[in-house]
Formats: sequence, C-alpha cells, structure tokens
Amino acid sequence: MKKKLDFPHIMTVVIIIAIYAAVFVAEQTIAPTSMLFTVLKKGATYALVAVSMNLLNGFTGIFSLGQAGFMLIGAYIFSIFTIPVEQRGIVYQYYNGGIIQFTLPVVIAMILAGLVAALFAFLIGLPVLRLKSDYLAIATLGFAEIVRTIFQWDKLGPITNGSNMLRLFPTFNDFNIRNAEGNVVVYLSTLVPMIIAGICIGIILLLINSTYGRALRAIKDDEIAAEAMGIHLASHKQIAFCVSSFFAGVGGAMLAMYQTTVQAKSFTTAMTYEILLIVVIGGLGSVTGSVLASFLFVACSEWWLRFLDQKQYISGHEIPLLRNGFRLVVFSFIIMIVVLFFRQGIMGTKELPDLFRKKKTAEGGAK
Amino acid sequence: MWNTIFPYLLSGISVGGQYALIAIGYTMVYGILRLINFAHGDVFMVAGIVMVYMAASGLPLWLCIVLDLAATAIIGFAIERIAYKPLRTAPRMSIMISAIGVSYTLQNLVLYITGGLNQIYPKIPWISDSITIGSATTKVVTVVTPILTILLVFALVMLINHTKVGMAMRAVSKDFETSQLMGININGVISTTFVIGSFLAGVGSTLYFTNYTTVIQTSGAMPGLKAFVAAVFGGIGSVPGAVVGAFIIGIAENIIKGLDIILFKAGLISKPMGLAIFSDAFTFALLIIILVVKPTGLFGEKSIDKV
Amino acid sequence: MKDNVLHIENLTMQFGGVVAVDNFSMDINKGEIVALIGPNGAGKTTAFNAVTGVYLPTSGRVTLNDENITGLRPDQITARGIARTFQNIRLFSSMTVFENVLTAHHLRRTSNLFSATFRLNAMEEKRMREDTDALLKKVDLYDLKDEMAVSLPYGKQRLLEIVRALASGPKLLLLDEPAAGMNPQETDELGEFIKRIRTEFDLTVFIIEHHMNLVMKISDRIYVIEFGKQIAEGRPEEIQNNQAVIDAYLGGGEEL
Repeated sequence: MKKKLDFPHIMTVVIIIAIYAAVFVAEQTIAPTSMLFTVLKKGATYALVAVSMNLLNGFTGIFSLGQAGFMLIGAYIFSIFTIPVEQRGIVYQYYNGGIIQFTLPVVIAMILAGLVAALFAFLIGLPVLRLKSDYLAIATLGFAEIVRTIFQWDKLGPITNGSNMLRLFPTFNDFNIRNAEGNVVVYLSTLVPMIIAGICIGIILLLINSTYGRALRAIKDDEIAAEAMGIHLASHKQIAFCVSSFFAGVGGAMLAMYQTTVQAKSFTTAMTYEILLIVVIGGLGSVTGSVLASFLFVACSEWWLRFLDQKQYISGHEIPLLRNGFRLVVFSFIIMIVVLFFRQGIMGTKELPDLFRKKKTAEGGAK
Repeated sequence: MWNTIFPYLLSGISVGGQYALIAIGYTMVYGILRLINFAHGDVFMVAGIVMVYMAASGLPLWLCIVLDLAATAIIGFAIERIAYKPLRTAPRMSIMISAIGVSYTLQNLVLYITGGLNQIYPKIPWISDSITIGSATTKVVTVVTPILTILLVFALVMLINHTKVGMAMRAVSKDFETSQLMGININGVISTTFVIGSFLAGVGSTLYFTNYTTVIQTSGAMPGLKAFVAAVFGGIGSVPGAVVGAFIIGIAENIIKGLDIILFKAGLISKPMGLAIFSDAFTFALLIIILVVKPTGLFGEKSIDKV
Repeated sequence: MKDNVLHIENLTMQFGGVVAVDNFSMDINKGEIVALIGPNGAGKTTAFNAVTGVYLPTSGRVTLNDENITGLRPDQITARGIARTFQNIRLFSSMTVFENVLTAHHLRRTSNLFSATFRLNAMEEKRMREDTDALLKKVDLYDLKDEMAVSLPYGKQRLLEIVRALASGPKLLLLDEPAAGMNPQETDELGEFIKRIRTEFDLTVFIIEHHMNLVMKISDRIYVIEFGKQIAEGRPEEIQNNQAVIDAYLGGGEEL
C-alpha cells in the first residue's frame, strides 16, 4: 500500500487545520461569553462520547446503552482526584473533607478517568458481552443505573461525596493562559478541549482503520463468518467495549470540566439515549457523521433553536405553540423523521475524505 | 419482626401487580416482534397524563377511566403503525432505535404540555381510601391491585389459549414467516398485541398513580425498565412468567426499601446503612445475573441458532 | 502409512431428541479431495459444524494432524489450520473484495492492539496487503478488488469466499456446497479451481456437494451419509455402483 497522500486526504487535513486555526482566532477576538464557545466546548465533549459509542454500536455491532454509566465514572474519577486539597473541606463538607487528600495533574486525572471506566467495562463485559443484541442493550443500561446508585451511596461519601455535588475542580477556563495579575493573555478554553477531543477521536480512527478495526467490522457484518476467519469474538468485543468505555470516561471528564460541577443523578438513561440519537443522526458507522451531528445537535439545542422555547411576537401577534419545551418537541420529530426515513443519517458510512472522491468507494476509513 | 416486614411485603405485592400489567405488554410484543419496546414505559406514563387532563375537564371519573384506557390502547396502536411497521424488514437495531426515539418523543411532548411540572393524579373514590390491615396502613388500591391483576391475566391467558386471535398470536410468535405464509393477518395480530399491551399498561397506570399521586414526563421510565426486567426474569415471551417475575421484583425492591429498618429491628445492624437507595439497582443486578445464568428466564423457551 | 490430516471418530451430534449425526467416523489424508454426500437433511452441514467448532459434539472426537481439536472454539480451530466456506454465502457485507480477504490475515498477526493502532506494525500491515494483492491476482479477482463483496455476481461471491478462506493459511479446506446455484459451466470451472488450489496451496479438501458431476470428477474418495449414519465409502466409481447409495437417493427423489 502506497503511503502517498492523495487529494481527498490533503483536503481533509486542510479542513481540520483550518477549523482549529479559526477557533483559535475566534477565541482571541470574540467575547468569551459568546454562545459559539459554549457550543464548541460542549460539542467537542459530545463528539468524543458519540464517536466512542459509534465504535461499539456502529463499527462492532454491539448495541450498548451503558454510555452514561461510563461517563459518570470518568467524570467522578476526574473530579475526585483534581479538587485542590485546600478546597476539599468545602466540597466534602458532610464528610470531613473526604479521605482523599492529594490531587493529580489534569492530564493524568483524565487518563485515569478513562482507565477506570475501561476497567469497569472489562469487568461488566465478561458476563454481558456474551448476550445477544437486545439483551446486551438492556443489561448495559441496567449497569449504568447500578453505577449511578452506587456513586450516590452515603457510605461511599468520603470518596464520592454521596449524593452531593462535586465542584471546585479545574475547568476548561483553567486552560486560559493568564499573566501575573490574573488577566487572560491567551484564550485557550475552547481550543484545548477541541484538541483533546480531536486527539482521542484520531486514536479511535487509527484503531478503526487498523487490522483490529477490520476484525471488529467483520464481527458486525457476520459473527459466524468472523469466527470462522479466526477472529476470537469474546476478546475482540471486549477490546471494542473497553476502548469505547475508556473514551466515554475521558468524555465524562470533559463533561465535568464543561459543567464545572458533577452530580451522579444527572447521568441518566436519557443522556445515553441522546448520544445514541446523535450517533444515528450522524450515521451509524461514520466517525465524521458523529462529530458533525454532535456539533449540530448541541448548536441547535443550546443556541439556534433556543428561540422555540420563548414566546415570540410578529408585529404584535404571538406565534402559537412557542413556549418552554417546544424546542425538544421539534427535536423529537426531526429525530423520528431521520430514524424512519433517512436511516443512513447525515453521512451513512462515509467519512470526510470520501466527500472529495469522485467515484463512490467503500473504504470506510479516513486514513 | 413480622410486623416490621408486613407493610413492605404488602406494598411489594401491590407494586408487583402494577409492574405485571406493564410487563405483559413487553413480553407479548417481544414474543411476536422480538423487539424491546422501549416506549412502553412512556405509554404507561402518557396514560397517567391523559387521565389528569381528562379529570380536569370535569367529566365523571368513571368515564375518564374508560376514555383513558381507550386512548391508551389507541396510542399503542398508533405507535406501532407509525414507528415500527415501516421498519419491519429493517435490521433489528433500527427498530430498537426507533423505539428509543418514540420514548424520547413522548417524554418531550409531555414535558411541553405540562411544562415539566408534577401533575396531581385525580383521587379515585374508594381505591384512594386508607385502610389498615394488621400492622400496615395503606390505600385500598394496594389490596385491589393484585386481585385485579390476577383476574386480568387470567382473562388474557384464556384469550390467548382459547380464541382464534389468541391462536394466531401464538402462531406468529412461534414462527413469523410461516404464519404469514399460512394466511394469518400478521399486521392485525401485531396491532392486537399492541392494543392489549397498552390497555393493560393503562390499567396499571391507574393503579400505580393512584398510589404515587403525581405524574411527570419521566414517571414511566423506571417502572417501564423494571417491568421489562420482570418480563426477562420470567422468561420473555411468557405471560405467566412476566407476572411471576413482576411480583418477585416488586416484593424484593420494597423489602430493600425497608431493609435498614428490618435489619435494625432484627438487631443485625446498629445504625442505618442507607441501603434503600439500592432498591432500583437491585432490580438491574438481578437482570444481569439472570441473563448470564439463565438467559431464557424462569419460563422461557430455548432456541437454537441455525448456521 | 498415509499422512492423516483429519480424523473423525464416532462423532454424534444430538439436538434435543433429534440425532443429526450418528456415530460417524472418517479419515482424510494429506492432499486428498474427499466429498461428503447424502440426501438433504442427512447431517452433512452438522458434521461440518461439529468439525469447525460451531457445535460442540455430543460425543466423539475430532483430530487434526493427530491433535485433538474437539471442543475448541471456531477461531481456535481456524488458527490450527481448518478454513471453511458456508452453504449460504457469508461475506462481510460492508467490506470490499480486498478487505474481505485482508481480514483473514488478522489471524496470523504478530501485532497487538497498541502497536496496530499506532502503526508500529507498518511492515506487517504492508505484508498483509501485498499478500492479499498477490492472492487476488493469482485467482483473477484483482480487477474487482475495490468492488463491494456483496455486489459481485453470485459465482464470484462463492469464489471470493473460498479465496478468503485460503487467505487464513489453512492445511484443510472445508467447502459447504460451493457449487450451489451455479450453472454447469461455472461448476466445471469451480472443479478445475478446486483441483488447482489443492496443488498450488498444498491443501487437503473436504467438500459437501450436491452436484454429482462435480463430486465424481474431483473427489478421490466419497463418504455417503443418510440420517446421520454412514452408508457407504469409497472411490467415485465404487459409490456410483453402490446399491445402498442408489436406494438412498432414489428414496430421497434425487438424481445420482
């Protein structure tokens, strides 16, 4: 295989660099309170989680609904180990400051968040991955609910703060570079999360296009044939499950930084559903699709369609239907239309470089 | 000791009956379409909301109940026609995603209509009244539920085993393709299944919300999931299995709710452990265990994959 | 002493009350093409599935080059050198012809998840791709390498499935009705192809087939089963004249 970069790949690299450059410039010039940055930060977080879910549901054919559970683990591990020691007394006020009295650097804590999520995935994967599609879905969903309960248990309070909020840990704003007076010199609070998500998604892409990725796709296409080709189903599914959960964990850590607070009760099944629907809208089996759909979804829900939730007047007349909650109704209908009539989603199984190819080829990967 | 456990046991049986009425919808649909109808719990919730709005309109309560049950059955029918029927030949994952989409849609619609506020469920005379049995003070509905559940299940089993439509249902769940070739009206059977399942969920909702008194858009999610676990536990596809599973889960979760007090009174622990929080988690732990140990559940049938 | 490749000893396969394969024994020696024939539902595919680990035999033993492989998983059996095709073609539908064959090389990888993801195995990946290209050229599928596997004509799909099996580096190739649905000309070509790959890839071939012309032309020996039991074994000309076989087929309404 020749390593020569062809036109589609050059275009892809150019586009990605352009996006990052534009974000950097925008951050230095536009007021940091702009909705644009909220969307980009949350979008980057969701993009990572959606791609990690797509690795399972779209590329390996494992219908897992445990994503919120692994995000929760990631978010908790990250925040537990990054709250500054001097703040622990305030955060863990009901538990005498908690029992963990040290902090880890942000990067280490993020990796640890992923690793612990992956460890949980490994343990739960042993029994659960043997199950068939729909049973697996419901078992992973149940697992996420169990995790949510355990993290709220009062007896674990000295570590998890029970059902109370975790806060005062580093957030995206801490990525900004400040001078001695504490004024921001260079804004990086959007660029850094986008770079983190970009690196993680890049790693997932590398995996998908490696020999292991081909084995996973083979499993999705036909388990029996894959096994007959010498692919050990259990270990390969376990690989997909753990890698996916690792990045869901990292995504959870990012979500914690985005939200600035973490509480177990917010990591509900509804969150998993939302991510699944993003993956479906983008196209099961397309990394590009998941990324696009994440940013679109977040932009619509946080910004562009916000007006649907408020009463609007045209020349003094109130527009009917518009009030709190209407945005979600519109959303639901869009999703149902995609699910029923555009099952391929935005991208189908195509990736960004495929858009620059004249002939339709089947190579799913971007590399 | 008995006096401590009894109230929990009683409400467990009651909740179990309500889960059973929901679980039947899951198990019948799964038996025929091999689909986990993720929206079923939300149909149950919508039944509650419809009841709230009907009662507010001033209609007599008995009429509200009748109309509510009819509306719920129609909603179930409509969901199948709109969201599942077009995907009959699509991969199973697509139809499951569609079910999740319907669940999302129903919740958001209700959120929009109610403004996301708790709705007070109308007090239904007699079954909302309090009674005292032994050491437990409870509502009449607690006692009525298991009895009504058993009666309805009995009627349903008679329907499945002794009527023509019941026979068609059994045939379709045994072999979808062959039944179609034999001239069974598949769509009719599927619709009937959804109508019956939704109707029973409607009955369940009347009993459940009389007990819990408020309805919100997320009210259906947890009972729905638990009822599904009950259906799996009993052996998915089997109606009696679902009922037995539902009672076991209902009782177990209520015992766990009172576990701190029970253990404390028994002298086994000296201060509360906060175990009540695990009443939901227990159900899911049970699910994972049963799936791993005996995926066909208590009464399920084994199937062999053909290569 | 002949060089034994596959040895099946008293294999029985039972599903509930149904005995699909009943105390069946056979031997295949190196370089042979051996056919297993019998009326529909005689238990041929079940025997294949028991050999390749899809089913766990109720009783009996299967050895490959004197190593006991009974009860191993399908992927372990493939790793030991048995590759197979399926009665109803099972290609990877989201992949191209090239990728289908390339996937079979995953089995012989030396890389691990980390080295493969971060491209530390570039040499190996390159070799896998070159080997795949070479194999596709050898069997005249190279021109179609970027086509979707499932968009190929039926006959080519059957061929591709065999090629994919070859790419896993087998000693013994199991073909489950490779000529099903093929016209006479394609069937002839398939026969030549099977003989050719036996020589070129130093293979032993075990085949289930209904096309009697093909079976008689390429097989060195034939086993016949009915209701899971062996009713005859021998060279093609012996089988053609065997009364029990003729009865079984006439009874089953099939043409010999």
